[in-house]
Amino acid sequence: MSSLDETLARNRTKTWRTSERRNSEQGREGAGYAQRPDAESAEADALAFWPADCGAVTRRRWLELMGASLALAGLSSCRWRRRELLPASRQTSEAAPGQPQQFATTMELAGSAIGLMVTCVDGRPIKIEGNPHDPASLGATHVYAQAALLELYDPDRSKDVYWRHGLEELARSWQEFGQFVRKHFDGLRKTGGEGFRILSQSSTSPTLAALRDRLLKAFPKAQWHEYEPVAWHAGVPRIYYGLQEADVVLCFDADLLGMHPMAVRYARDFAQRRDPDRGSMCRLYVVESTPSITGVIADHRLPLRSGLVQQLVRRLYAAARQTASSSAPAAFAAFAASDSSHGSPSFLDSSDGPQPTSAPIQSHDDATSRFLHAVLGDLRRHAGKCVVAVGPGHQAVAQYVLALNELFGTFGRTFWYDSADGADGPERVRPLDELVEQMHSGEVGTLLILGGNPVYNAPVDFDYREALGRVGTSIHLSLYRDETSRLCTWHLPQSHFLESWGDALGYDGVYRVIQPTIEPLYGGKSAIEVLAMILGEEAGSGHELVKAEFLRRFKPDDGEASWRRAVHDGLFLVGRPAAEASAPRTAPPLPPIPEDEVPAKPRQLEIVFKPDYRLFDGRFANNAWLQELPDPITKLTWDNAALISPATAGELGVSTGYLVILSYQGRQWAVPALVLPGQADGSVAVALGYGRLAAGKVGGCDEWGTPSVGANSYYLRTSRALYFDDGLELRITLNRESLATTRDHFPIDALGTKTREKWAAELVRQTTLARYLDDKTPYVGEHSAAHGPAGSLWEEPQFSAPCWGMVIDLSKCNGCGACIVACQAENNIPVVGREQVLRRREMHWLRVDRYFQGDPNDPQILVQPVLCMHCELAPCEQVCPVAATVHSREGLNDMVYNRCVGTRYCSNNCPYKVRRFNFFNYHKHLEDPRQEVLKMAHNPQVTVRSRGVMEKCTYCVQRIQAAKIAAKSSGRTTIPDGTVQTACQQVCPTGAIIFGDLADPQSTVSVARRSRRAYVMLAELNVKPRTAYLARVGNPNPLLADQQST
Amino acid sequence: MLNYAGSPRTTDVGYSPRQPVEYSHALHAGELGLDCRYCHTTVETAAFAAVPSTQVCMNCHARIAPESDKLLPLQQSYSRGDPIRWVKVHDLPDYVYFDHRAHVSRGVGCISCHGRVDTMEQVRQVERLSMGWCLECHRQPEPHLRPQQFVTVMDWVPGEAPAVLGRRLRQQNNIQPSTDCSTCHR
Repeated sequence: MSSLDETLARNRTKTWRTSERRNSEQGREGAGYAQRPDAESAEADALAFWPADCGAVTRRRWLELMGASLALAGLSSCRWRRRELLPASRQTSEAAPGQPQQFATTMELAGSAIGLMVTCVDGRPIKIEGNPHDPASLGATHVYAQAALLELYDPDRSKDVYWRHGLEELARSWQEFGQFVRKHFDGLRKTGGEGFRILSQSSTSPTLAALRDRLLKAFPKAQWHEYEPVAWHAGVPRIYYGLQEADVVLCFDADLLGMHPMAVRYARDFAQRRDPDRGSMCRLYVVESTPSITGVIADHRLPLRSGLVQQLVRRLYAAARQTASSSAPAAFAAFAASDSSHGSPSFLDSSDGPQPTSAPIQSHDDATSRFLHAVLGDLRRHAGKCVVAVGPGHQAVAQYVLALNELFGTFGRTFWYDSADGADGPERVRPLDELVEQMHSGEVGTLLILGGNPVYNAPVDFDYREALGRVGTSIHLSLYRDETSRLCTWHLPQSHFLESWGDALGYDGVYRVIQPTIEPLYGGKSAIEVLAMILGEEAGSGHELVKAEFLRRFKPDDGEASWRRAVHDGLFLVGRPAAEASAPRTAPPLPPIPEDEVPAKPRQLEIVFKPDYRLFDGRFANNAWLQELPDPITKLTWDNAALISPATAGELGVSTGYLVILSYQGRQWAVPALVLPGQADGSVAVALGYGRLAAGKVGGCDEWGTPSVGANSYYLRTSRALYFDDGLELRITLNRESLATTRDHFPIDALGTKTREKWAAELVRQTTLARYLDDKTPYVGEHSAAHGPAGSLWEEPQFSAPCWGMVIDLSKCNGCGACIVACQAENNIPVVGREQVLRRREMHWLRVDRYFQGDPNDPQILVQPVLCMHCELAPCEQVCPVAATVHSREGLNDMVYNRCVGTRYCSNNCPYKVRRFNFFNYHKHLEDPRQEVLKMAHNPQVTVRSRGVMEKCTYCVQRIQAAKIAAKSSGRTTIPDGTVQTACQQVCPTGAIIFGDLADPQSTVSVARRSRRAYVMLAELNVKPRTAYLARVGNPNPLLADQQST
Repeated sequence: MLNYAGSPRTTDVGYSPRQPVEYSHALHAGELGLDCRYCHTTVETAAFAAVPSTQVCMNCHARIAPESDKLLPLQQSYSRGDPIRWVKVHDLPDYVYFDHRAHVSRGVGCISCHGRVDTMEQVRQVERLSMGWCLECHRQPEPHLRPQQFVTVMDWVPGEAPAVLGRRLRQQNNIQPSTDCSTCHR
């Protein structure tokens, strides 16, 4: 250092305290943490665990300095505010500060369970991924699990016990509730639990079941009821599918890949059969009223009113039986064997082969009949390797489906079922209607509601609100102080699953452990803890209860060690029910099918209630990530709409955005309409879960003045028709609503909708299996326009290994959107709100584009995830005036937020429109101390961006760096393939996203890139994107080839 | 002049804030010879070089000088469970992600960035830690490399010319410090 430097350095140690510094220090010492108005300094000094979004010398500060007279002594305040380091007083965990750890846990959702691995940093969870050993997830998750992180840190979660006394609502402590419990339930015990009812959410927790049994023993007159607004499966029995073995899959209103307890697993199994380069492809037929994720990936999709689906099932069964003798499986096997050309699945034959003698199928609808005929032929040809599934709402034909599966010999091969667990049989768990009846008649003196929100989502004809008013004492345990809590005597804050101990068997019966990853933020308790409290049990903590139940259930030889292993793994695979070993059994006799059955003509419009892909049944209404996630099918955000087909909309004179009044069963309900190609004619679908009035600041809260998001479709949902019903009338009003959809956002080519169809075929390429296997047709990946080899004007850079690249397989992607929420969680992407989405300013780095192709009344839906292509010759890099976006030697297009000045030229120049600009400081609300808890959800490895900077996908550079540092520190020079997984890749249920080192010829991504299906978007621009796509290969039935244009 | 005024050379070098406990590295690391890693345990395994918990201090000071006034905050922290609020001396902007492990495990000595901490009564920043300063080494790491076992040895002197040693170490360990932006800025 120069002598001047040294002089200043010496002086500085004494003159460090300037006026600014002194004020801040005094403020801290005096009043503790003080709220200061200045935006930068309002960041938490006391909570110094994560980096705040404050730069070094901010622009504002710099201008202040330039304007002020600069005394050298005053310059020593140029450094940013001082930071403190707060180590723990006693070292409890071995975790290094800032070093992530992973813990296994489980998420329950309406009776399903999925194993998770939660990444925790400094004692708090920041990212959720799937547990790779869990058979229900195989490492992937659905969107609800991804967004559960934000639910944990939701500032609107209930923080206190509340007691309603007259018109007042008073905060109480858990001790006071404990006193009430002792007094009240001791009295109840004497009467044997007279008038005591418990309403619980559907749960497969063995600990909860054990506590329930103990409770019912202690209170013999009590009854336990269960209610879930969304039932996953069509009644008892519980059905499992082996989709990886199935050559033909037929779904009747069954969204197996999108809305099913095993959806994540089924999506993976199914996707494994969609690779034309690996084994034989399966074929998926879907019959549904409203487009679903399963329908998007289907080879053939028949839009049909839900009301007519049951008749179709019956017709299929009748037609199948007509050709079968009583020993059905043998007949089909014989048929399959007799025709050797169909011995192995061969989809290339255009001829149907020899036809079995059968009576002609009667119908009055050509398209449906042809569909049925083709489906039946396929099912016969692949007897034993096919699946017929039916969705909830069609319990009436569940037996037909069982019988069909038996006819086609699928039991034990692709289709298993088991009857409901004996312990949960009808004697132990009662449905909701019995409870409501008793409530109305005043029989219920004490009602304990564990989770759920029946005031909001119970069938409207039950009038649960009125019934609750007649209950003597009601106690509601819930995450939020929601619609039900407000009417109950006691409200108890529930601990989130990430904060509690528990267990779950899930849909497939695998024992899973729920392990807390953080102490309860607001002192909540779980359902099992509340029950133990009521029972007055000694070992009342969740941990003790779950462990005791584990030891009792499995009686492991090594006791504690097995328990610890179960907690570590998240699973305990011993003792799994042998659902696979179900022997074929004959279905009970079915009523005879009338010979000439003609489907009854539907009277009016049909209403279909569907659980929302984002809010599920409404429980996630306050989750901003989910509200802003575009619906996979409609691309709608922050709203729901009545989905109407173009033909029906044309008849009614309705267009998108029209506010319509739906009249059903004497109730009128207003909702905006959305015209959706692919929706069945005459059917109006509405999503459940909107119109909440007590969700919170995000989802709507009348107490706090937050407008409700969407319209509450539960208002029309009655108990006689929970899924769909006839008898809907639609009336148009003059009002128009703006719907915040992202369907038109970031179009690759915004000039001219005429050319868009031509471009879409270039951008989302697809072909059929027949054409793909035919070697004579040109490669799918080849660019169709004829021009010479693309050259560039300048010297192209050379790259060193590793060369990061990505391939997205469009044959597998079904548009579920888990990748979008995962990216948001991993990279601290803000939520912008409805107004900004209307201005096309949503911040998702990864978007899923949706295209329709073909007949507008029965189109094919194509989806394509689009993210930064990390072009080798990136057009964005060339125009940045401040070199804020540069190229790394490994091929990443780096975005340097601290250099960006917000010219937005890069976004202008990006042909894929993958760059996002922070038009506002979207994290500004975090400065409010009441919202500050949301900061805990941020990933400390990624900068939180402020106003005025551009951002985009970085190929999860933080994960790449972590892997590189780990490898280099251990002395390795290469990173094994599969070590680095981008967030989107990690959670994709189908495994559609592949990422890795392109320089390694054996890596998965290199192999995929060499596929004949591989192509890049806009190749003619010669930007050399590192992200490529594998063209979607469909497997249409040649008989129906003209119905689905591929 | 403005450039000079705003430069980290001016604003950061020599920063030596007063700490809640008058911990002297000169005594502990210098005289007593404690290795850096006895307290800063995570420097080879994590991005942050952790400031030690009070428990580490109490390993010795439960018996040594327990009545000392200077150690009163220590005793209070240990008994109450509150952390000691150390003031961070070497602070980088929040958009810079520095990883200790990547440097310490590859042979960059503590002294290269932190100076002779074992002679400091009160820790002060001696290097400017600006991006330009980091790039100097990233572009030419040879003068700053040493065999990994001497990383915490403050008074280590290389047996041969530093340039020669550095070149050899660089080649042996395949040290390729990246100058790509995403190395530090994410």
